[in-house]
Amino acid sequence: METTAPFDLNTALQLWLEHFGQSSEVKAEDLTELESHIRDSVNQLQGKGLTSEESFLIATHRVGTPAKLEPEFAKINRSPLNTIVHGIILVFFSISCWFLWGITHIPQMMAGASVRQGRSLPQFSQFVMESGAWLVVPPVLAAIYCVCVWTQKSRRQNSWAGFFATTMAVLILLALPIVVGAMLPMVDFINHFQ
Amino acid sequence: MLSKELVAASSVPLVLSVLTEGENYGYALIQRVRELSGGRIEWTEGMLYPVLHWMEKEKMIESEWREAETGRKRKYYRLRKEGRKALQQEKQQWMTVHETLARLWKQQPRLT
Repeated sequence: METTAPFDLNTALQLWLEHFGQSSEVKAEDLTELESHIRDSVNQLQGKGLTSEESFLIATHRVGTPAKLEPEFAKINRSPLNTIVHGIILVFFSISCWFLWGITHIPQMMAGASVRQGRSLPQFSQFVMESGAWLVVPPVLAAIYCVCVWTQKSRRQNSWAGFFATTMAVLILLALPIVVGAMLPMVDFINHFQ
Repeated sequence: MLSKELVAASSVPLVLSVLTEGENYGYALIQRVRELSGGRIEWTEGMLYPVLHWMEKEKMIESEWREAETGRKRKYYRLRKEGRKALQQEKQQWMTVHETLARLWKQQPRLT
């Protein structure tokens, strides 16, 4: 015959509260308040003749699941850190784009020397030089996204990690052709003097 | 039973109104609303606490941890001056909706 361990309210309550443990956006004070609420509810239900286990199940069902409650607590307890990190990433992203725009001018500087030697710039370098003005687009889009994040109140999780990953990917995609475009006349220039 | 949206919209005026009766803690607030509504207003009980904390941030209410008669700690909420003002505004808005709907429904021909 199978025997089951007797129900222990304190253990069950502790296990239930541990579901919130993974979230940094639910404070210890919030958990104490929820615990107090469940204990009040259990006491009242036991007074109506229910067992400790039955009362606990009903009480936690009425309180709601941690998955449902966590985002609601997160809205209230969210720190401004997410917004600040977005701002920092935006500034560095804009500076990087400005720096890349500067690199697009290197072929232009090389152009003088190349023309004097009767050679024209590689077509790819010319393309990079001409498309340098478009580098203002990514920082503008990033700024619009940041404004959306800062004004949106219903965010559940910190979104700076995704923003960081996206801006890094954009920087790599922009930097690769620009650096290659700038390197071509430089290599040509260096080879000529060797 | 009330819709989710209406329960959410009425939570602030309900809490403010119950707290005009005197300070109280979360569980008792819910019990009071259940009693007054005859069980027709059913909150997901845990959802009340983020609302209470938001109201505290907005300075409508204030809270204090105290030891209850059971020996456990309980957080008691009470109304602040700003909360009384907010309740007056809520009253006006809800009365406007109530009066408008009452007039409209009075004018409707009987369907039965």
